[in-house]
Amino acid sequence: MGPPMSSRAVPGAATAVRRILALGGHDFTSRPPDRAVCELLLRLAGERGGERPRICILPTASGDTSEQIGRFYAAFGERCCEPSDLSLFRLGRRPMALRDHLLAQDLIYVGGGSLVNLLAVWEAHDIASILSLAWRQGIVLAGQSAGAMCWFEAGITKSSGRPLGAAGLGMLAGSLCVHYNNEPERRSAYLAAVGDGMPGGYGLDDYAGLLWEGEGAPAAVTARRGARAYRVRSRGDSVTESPLPARFLPAPAPAALREDIAEFRRIKTMRTRAGWLG
Amino acid sequence: MYNGAGAAGVDHLSMKTAPRQIVAFGGGGFSMEAGNPLLDDYVLGLTGAERPRVCFLPSASGDADHYIVRFYRAFSAHRCEASHISLFRREQGPEDLRRHLLSQDLIYVGGGSVVSLLGVWRAHGIDTILREAWEAGVILCGLSAGSLCWFAEAVTGFHGAPRRLEGLGLLPFSNCVHYERDSRRRHSYHRFLREGMRGGYAAEDGAALHFSGTELSRVVASRPQARGYRLDVAGQRVVEMRIATTFLGDRGVPPEAPVPEALSTAVAA
Repeated sequence: MGPPMSSRAVPGAATAVRRILALGGHDFTSRPPDRAVCELLLRLAGERGGERPRICILPTASGDTSEQIGRFYAAFGERCCEPSDLSLFRLGRRPMALRDHLLAQDLIYVGGGSLVNLLAVWEAHDIASILSLAWRQGIVLAGQSAGAMCWFEAGITKSSGRPLGAAGLGMLAGSLCVHYNNEPERRSAYLAAVGDGMPGGYGLDDYAGLLWEGEGAPAAVTARRGARAYRVRSRGDSVTESPLPARFLPAPAPAALREDIAEFRRIKTMRTRAGWLG
Repeated sequence: MYNGAGAAGVDHLSMKTAPRQIVAFGGGGFSMEAGNPLLDDYVLGLTGAERPRVCFLPSASGDADHYIVRFYRAFSAHRCEASHISLFRREQGPEDLRRHLLSQDLIYVGGGSVVSLLGVWRAHGIDTILREAWEAGVILCGLSAGSLCWFAEAVTGFHGAPRRLEGLGLLPFSNCVHYERDSRRRHSYHRFLREGMRGGYAAEDGAALHFSGTELSRVVASRPQARGYRLDVAGQRVVEMRIATTFLGDRGVPPEAPVPEALSTAVAA
C-alpha cells in the first residue's frame, strides 16, 4: 500500500499514448551502439518531459547493484535530464515515496538481471500496479533483458540458471525472448516453449529493440548492424521466425568528440574567413 | 506460468535427528559488530561440528557483493566450510538449492529488506526448503530481516514507518528486532500488539533468541547490557518481560533458564 496518489493533474492522462520500449540487450557504456540506445531513451523521455525530462532506473532485477546504478548515472548524469534510481533494497538508508516518485517520471527504465526476482520483489512492494498506471498516464516504460521481458505475458529467463519460461506482467500481449542470437540456448528454449504452447511473440538480439506507441504493431529499431528483431509464431506443428524491418539508430558523437568537432569547425571558419584555407 | 523450477531430484538426504533450532539476533554478528564474534561463535558452536558447513543467504540485501565478502571474511576457511547462495545470480552458485541447503549444519540469513527477502524466497521455493531444513535439524539463524523471517508475524522498520508483516511462521510468535529503549519500532510493536498482533519476542542489538523447537531455550548476548524480551497482551495492556540473558563474553557462565527477570515495564494503552 503506497501513499495516496498525488492530486497533481496529469495533462492529457485520458488520452495519453502508451509507450513501451523493449530492448534485447545493451549496456550503458560509451561505445557507439550503447550511445545510440541512450539517445533514443533521451528522445522518448524528452517527447514527454521537454528539455529536462525525468528518467528513473529501477535496478531491482540486479538486486540494486552499485555497478548497474553507477553505469546509468555515468550515461545520463551529464546529459540534459534528471536521472534518479529507485532501489528497493536500499530504501532503508534512503527512504522514498515509491508511488509519487515513479508517477513523477517521464521515462522509467528497468535494468536487467533476474526476471523471477524482479517480479517477486515488485509484487512484495506493490510496484506493478504503479507501473501500469504510469504507462496509462503516458510515462514511457523501457528496459533491457529482464527489464524488457517483464512487460510481456511471458519470457525466457535464466533466473534459475538454465533458460526456462516464466510469466511476466502481461501489459503487452505475447512473449519476448531477449539476447536472441547472442545466447543460442535461450533462443532454442524459446522456440521449444512457443511450440509447446507459450504464446508467440518476439525475439530480440542485443542492440535490437521494439517500440510500442499506442495501439498496433511495434516499430523495430536497431543500434548495431546485424542486430535484429524477429516475429516468432506457432503455425500448426512448426514455429516460424521472421526478421522485422528495423530503423537504424545512429550513434551520436560522444560529448568530448562533439566539442572537438565544434572547435575544429570554429577554427576552420576563422581560417576560411582569413583566407588561409581554400 | 511456464516455470518448471522447484522439482529437485533429491529423494533421500540423510535425515538428522538433531532438534529443530533457530537463533534470532536482534542485531549483531559480523554484519553489525566488527571485531565482536561472540554471536557468530555461538551459532557455530551449536553445530557441534569440527568444521561446520555454513551457508549464507544474503537475499535481503539484494545479494550485495560487499556483504558476501564480509561473510567469507568472518566465516573463514580454517573454522568452517562456508558457502553462499545468491538468488540474483543463480547461474554461479549450486544448481540444486534444496540439496545444498539440506546438507548444511548452519544457515545464516543476512539483514536488509524483509519484504524483498520473503518475495524472492517464495519465487525460488526457498521458504519450503528452509522449513524442511529446520525440521531436519539444520540450525537456522540470522539478524534483523534474518530474524524476523522465521516468525509468524513481524515488525519491519526497514522503510518508512514500522509496519506489520507475516513471516514464514516456523515460530508461532511475533518478533521485533533492534528493540532499543525509545525506538519507533518498540512503540509500533506495542501498538500492533494492542491492535491484535499475537504475542512474541523482541531482542535488542547484541541479543539473540535461541529457540529449540518452538520453545525459547535461552537468550544470549554479545554485549553485557543487551537483552531479550517476552511480550504479551493482557486486555489492552502490553506486558513486557525482560528475559534473563547470558552474556557470552563471560567465560564459564552456566546456561540459565529463560525465567523472566522482572516485569520491568507494563506499557498501558
